Amino acid sequence: MPQLMILFTILLTLGAYLLAKALYLRYRHPLLNIVLLGAAIVIATLLALNIPYQSYLPGRRIMTSLLGPATVGLAVPLYRHRSLLRQYAPAIVAGVGLGSLASMLAAGGIALVAGLPREVVLSVLPKSVTIPFAVEIARIHGGSPGLASAFVVATGTLGSVFGGTLLTWAGIKDPVARGLALGTGAHGQGTAMAFMEGEREGSMAGLAMTLAGITTATMAPLLVRLLLRN
Amino acid sequence: MDQLASPPRRRLEPLTIALTIALYRERVAAPPEAFVKKKLRFLGQVALLAGIYLLGNKIAGFAHLPVPGNVVGVVLLYALLNLGLVPLEYVQDAADFLLRHLVFFFIPVAVDLMNWGTVFYRYGLALAFAIVVSTILTFLGTGYLAQWFQKGEKPCPS
Repeated sequence: MPQLMILFTILLTLGAYLLAKALYLRYRHPLLNIVLLGAAIVIATLLALNIPYQSYLPGRRIMTSLLGPATVGLAVPLYRHRSLLRQYAPAIVAGVGLGSLASMLAAGGIALVAGLPREVVLSVLPKSVTIPFAVEIARIHGGSPGLASAFVVATGTLGSVFGGTLLTWAGIKDPVARGLALGTGAHGQGTAMAFMEGEREGSMAGLAMTLAGITTATMAPLLVRLLLRN
Repeated sequence: MDQLASPPRRRLEPLTIALTIALYRERVAAPPEAFVKKKLRFLGQVALLAGIYLLGNKIAGFAHLPVPGNVVGVVLLYALLNLGLVPLEYVQDAADFLLRHLVFFFIPVAVDLMNWGTVFYRYGLALAFAIVVSTILTFLGTGYLAQWFQKGEKPCPS
């Protein structure tokens, strides 16, 4: 019965989310990533019960139907912090712009030189931005949403574990600059770390996360043409 | 032991009673219309967000923009909020709730990885290198440039 399978996959995903979230809230360790942990629980269960990926798709469609509207909601924190946006406009525009460009150039360039397949290169290109943007940027240029989400989580985990230390080591002490770097380099996971450093850092990281998504989406067509001429 | 244990328990009682009354008032005695109204308002906000998202998709498709519809949607909602065409109260409850649980929606997307195991097996090292180098460059690029701009401004108060 397909309806029963849809119900099962949705409940399974919901359960995996709640379990992963409870574990994260209990230990608060950046390596306990809710997305990766949740997906691992779902995949392990599907494999154990011999359920093919195709049977997960109808439920996936229902669950992700709210992702678009939720993503649009990112404009709300942007609007709430519009005074910060105006106050630090030069640092934000320059920092987020350069960071987004560097991220795509380095990731795409290395993947290309290493001879990875086109689909993989296109999926690694938006790796620094939050999943809903990365997934769509990868998709419209011919990458894979699933792969893109994995690269995003890998980047976010790396950035949230070592990002703060790297910034301190590099002598970047300004709270606005630290927040912008954490948000541009490691999206939501970096933003969570930035909030642990302080309110100012966290707010700047949140702004940078959304703005890096918009910037990356706008620059991506150019970089795709530059790197993968066809 | 009993003497030590009983006073705090007794002191808690008025609080418990007050809480029970408050809960009863909110959950049971409240007119059902108020509850329904609250839920309907929330659903209306979700519908408004969904409408803006669909509009963003339509604009991106119609104008042949090489930019995802959700990105257009964010810019659109930000513009509507700034222009005062959509008051914050029309979207904020739904937006806050959905953003709080945004990570839930990422899990079904990441389940796609089921099909991509071999990619990590074959290209894992190159991918790790690409991700590490590009993440370091992003942090340093954004951090240094933003700090440089900040130093040009007045010294930061904090």
